[in-house]
Amino acid sequence: MRVSVLQENLARGLSIVSRAVSPRSTLPVLANVLVATDEGRLRLSATNLELGITCWIGAKIQDEGSTTVPARTFSDLVATLPGGNQVEMSLTVRTQTLNVRCGASNTDLKCIDAQEFPPMPVSDVSQGLELNVMDFKEMIQQVVFAASTDDARPILTGVLVTVKGDTITLAAADGFRLSVRKARLSSPVARPLSAVIPARALSELARIASDGDKTLTMITPPGRAQVIFRVGDVELVSQLIDGMFPDYEQIIPRRCDTRAVLSTSAFLKACKQAEIFAREGSHIAKLNIQPGGELKPGVVEITGQSEETGSNQNIVDANIEGPGLLIAFNVRFLREVLDVIRTPNVALETTANNLPGVIRPVESQDDQSEFLHVIMPMHLGS
Amino acid sequence: MSIHILPAEVASQIAAGEVVERPASVVKELVENSLDAGASSITISIEGAGQRLVEVIDDGCGIPAEELALAVERHATSKLSQAADLFNIQTLGFRGEALASIGSVSNLTLVSRTAHSQVGAKLRMEGGQLLNLQPAGAPPGTTVRVEALFYNVPARLKFLKSEATERRLIDNLVVRYALAYPNVRFQLMQDKRPALQTSGRGERREILVALYGAEAARQMLEVNSIDGEMRISGFISPPSLTRSHRRDIFFYVNRRPVQDGALSAALLKGYHTLLMVGRYPLGAIFIEMPPDAVDVNVHPTKAEVRFRQPEQVFAALQSAVRRALLAHSPAPGLNISLHWGSGEQRPSSFTGHFDPSWPSMEKFPPQEASVEAQDANPPISASPPARASSQPGLPDQRVPLLRPVGQIAAAYLAAEGPDGLYLIDQHAAHERVLFERFLAQRSSGIPSQALLQPAAVHLSAAEARLLADQLPTLASLGFQVEPFGPGVFLVRAIPALLANSNPEDALRVLVENFEEDETPLQALQEERIIARVCKRAAVKAGAILSMEEQRALLFDLEACQSPRTCPHGRPTMIHLSVDLLERQFGRKGAR
Repeated sequence: MRVSVLQENLARGLSIVSRAVSPRSTLPVLANVLVATDEGRLRLSATNLELGITCWIGAKIQDEGSTTVPARTFSDLVATLPGGNQVEMSLTVRTQTLNVRCGASNTDLKCIDAQEFPPMPVSDVSQGLELNVMDFKEMIQQVVFAASTDDARPILTGVLVTVKGDTITLAAADGFRLSVRKARLSSPVARPLSAVIPARALSELARIASDGDKTLTMITPPGRAQVIFRVGDVELVSQLIDGMFPDYEQIIPRRCDTRAVLSTSAFLKACKQAEIFAREGSHIAKLNIQPGGELKPGVVEITGQSEETGSNQNIVDANIEGPGLLIAFNVRFLREVLDVIRTPNVALETTANNLPGVIRPVESQDDQSEFLHVIMPMHLGS
Repeated sequence: MSIHILPAEVASQIAAGEVVERPASVVKELVENSLDAGASSITISIEGAGQRLVEVIDDGCGIPAEELALAVERHATSKLSQAADLFNIQTLGFRGEALASIGSVSNLTLVSRTAHSQVGAKLRMEGGQLLNLQPAGAPPGTTVRVEALFYNVPARLKFLKSEATERRLIDNLVVRYALAYPNVRFQLMQDKRPALQTSGRGERREILVALYGAEAARQMLEVNSIDGEMRISGFISPPSLTRSHRRDIFFYVNRRPVQDGALSAALLKGYHTLLMVGRYPLGAIFIEMPPDAVDVNVHPTKAEVRFRQPEQVFAALQSAVRRALLAHSPAPGLNISLHWGSGEQRPSSFTGHFDPSWPSMEKFPPQEASVEAQDANPPISASPPARASSQPGLPDQRVPLLRPVGQIAAAYLAAEGPDGLYLIDQHAAHERVLFERFLAQRSSGIPSQALLQPAAVHLSAAEARLLADQLPTLASLGFQVEPFGPGVFLVRAIPALLANSNPEDALRVLVENFEEDETPLQALQEERIIARVCKRAAVKAGAILSMEEQRALLFDLEACQSPRTCPHGRPTMIHLSVDLLERQFGRKGAR
């Protein structure tokens, strides 16, 4: 293999794929990045067997070939090579040594034969579902945080992605809260789809997908428990999580007694302050929802306290319909959901202190609510 | 077969069986008599494990010559005169049976002189028959010689254990009395060889050496507490020093050795969560209380007592033990002192520790000094015994500020403290943190987190019954569980502290818990449930912790009340002092 690439391109490609490198794996080749010539371009791939990322970069190819290069060493090296220069790479197959020259720098890297690298799936982009990058990134950000990080319930570490008709829905839950985000597709799909994708893979996708890219393609090859995302010259492959995702529709309360509309930023700020105090205990924050009278507006009083640090109270003005209520929530859950709500106002819907609360962004008139978040309350024992 | 009244000597031999069942009981009765006589020095000579000879010489008040014959009569005593005195017993003996009983099964010689009479008297008795009584010269005090014990009761002789066993029983017995009476000089000779010698200077710790061995005695913690008219003092072992049996736990009520299962249960409760399952502490506990608050006239050998207010005694004992443990509970040192066993460290720390009484240690024959040392391999603290003499009431066993250094084998944290290196078991440490958080929250109400979807747990009929009984307890712990058809329960909420664990597992663990140890005591039960739940919820060995998580865990551990052990009593940390490291690297001290 003899190739020449621009330093910037190589550095960017390596930084994208190296997120999938598993440095602590028992399989040494998984700590390496596959470097291969591929139809006039240079292909960089890394995988940890669950998640694989491939990036194609432009290159001048003199001889075809492939090898795997230690990811950490290679990335660190390339990052320090002079920018704007061509990086010349040539592989000695017999010794699996990659010679890297750039400017005055000359390096020999010990490599592992590309034969040992796990095969990466080949995608057929034409079969895929086209999505808007910006929209899908926001969708991901609004649900992934609610996914469980506990491996004891693997299904909940994933995000349920369903596509039906002209609607795509993302849902994630961790046993105490549920985040659901819907979006309209530009054109209805012929084949409905339902898959549980690891939350981590989606987070990586959101990170990789740069704002410059317009569309993103999602491919679920039939018969394989995999999903492939193609965005620009990057492809991300993830194993799907096997199992039944809980039927979240029945968890979403059908109605509510009390509906409080608050300023998202004021509510978020109050929650952040309460969390400073609540984190010492069990992250418990008390919300006292007090409807207004004729003259005074309604308020929501948010209290966080701990025996060690003290207590904090914030009063946020609110437009309240329905009776008052004292309810407690995990303040971290509140903060995390308020963090991803873009609208200036947010609605908190509650019924009783032992029934779930629902948080929805308050959209403008013409746009109906596509996001909702369900949080289970906490109780203070007797 | 006709019914007839038994001859006097047969009757007295039968009665003797109650009081005198083996040579050690003879020693016990005679030593008690000497102590009741106010002796300041007691010399006991044993030959042939007590069968050939038991001789007890004291310098007590003595028996006047004219009363000597009476002393060997049944129910003759100077310690009691009317029934009401039974409720206010200040002496060890009072039944007036000992000498008569011993006399009826041996050849007894009694020599005694009171301090203010010129001449003493000597009495000789064989098998209960008074042979002669004559004036004799003698030092003040009483000498009792018991020869040919059980010569006329062959059945009794047959049931004696081996000589070694009988000798050991006598040794242990005398040590126990010596411990109760540190101001009395005890000398025990077994077949003319000294087996025990105490100074009589009132230093109890020196006697502990004879009881538990030098190493264990050095580690024993002092207990000292006063609760109304009751005073509890003595020694208990730190949680790192344990035995697989309860035989090394001794109780004294008003300086009388007693055996009481409830007392040792109370002692163990004091160690609650500090001891591993199946391990027992060592202890010598002295309970002093008004004589009318305790009934000692329960059993002829007076080994059992009845308290008028047992709960109060047990509670006081438990809290006294707990306080002593809290005040001093060092991380167990690393047991590597054996590598430099010949070095100076151990002896120097000994003498440094109890200077005043130490010289007498040399008088103990070595085999006596290490009675139980090889029995349980007590973990030898490699660090100097910094705080062995604890200050009761000052709970100062918190860990110092720790700086995380790293994680080892995804199971242990290495941390630096001001006094060296600490190795911390991440699972045990987290268990302790969770456990204390639970207990702290229990007073103000344990927050529970409702589940998005109730989890259904299917149980066997027996498990379901167990669980159904405990629903109120579980509710107070933050588990909201409700029955949902036969054998099925719905978990609606779990304690917020356990929000990271699987609710179904958490509940199942609890049912298993109920099956294993059923205790009627509600408080204990609840704590056990908490301990069990915490064990399940704590971070496991094998989990890789980030530096932030390590720091948080250490921070939480520093805030714990008893950070040195997990709720099940396993140590959470091992301490390697700088001193030890320096020795190990040969920078300091003998190699």
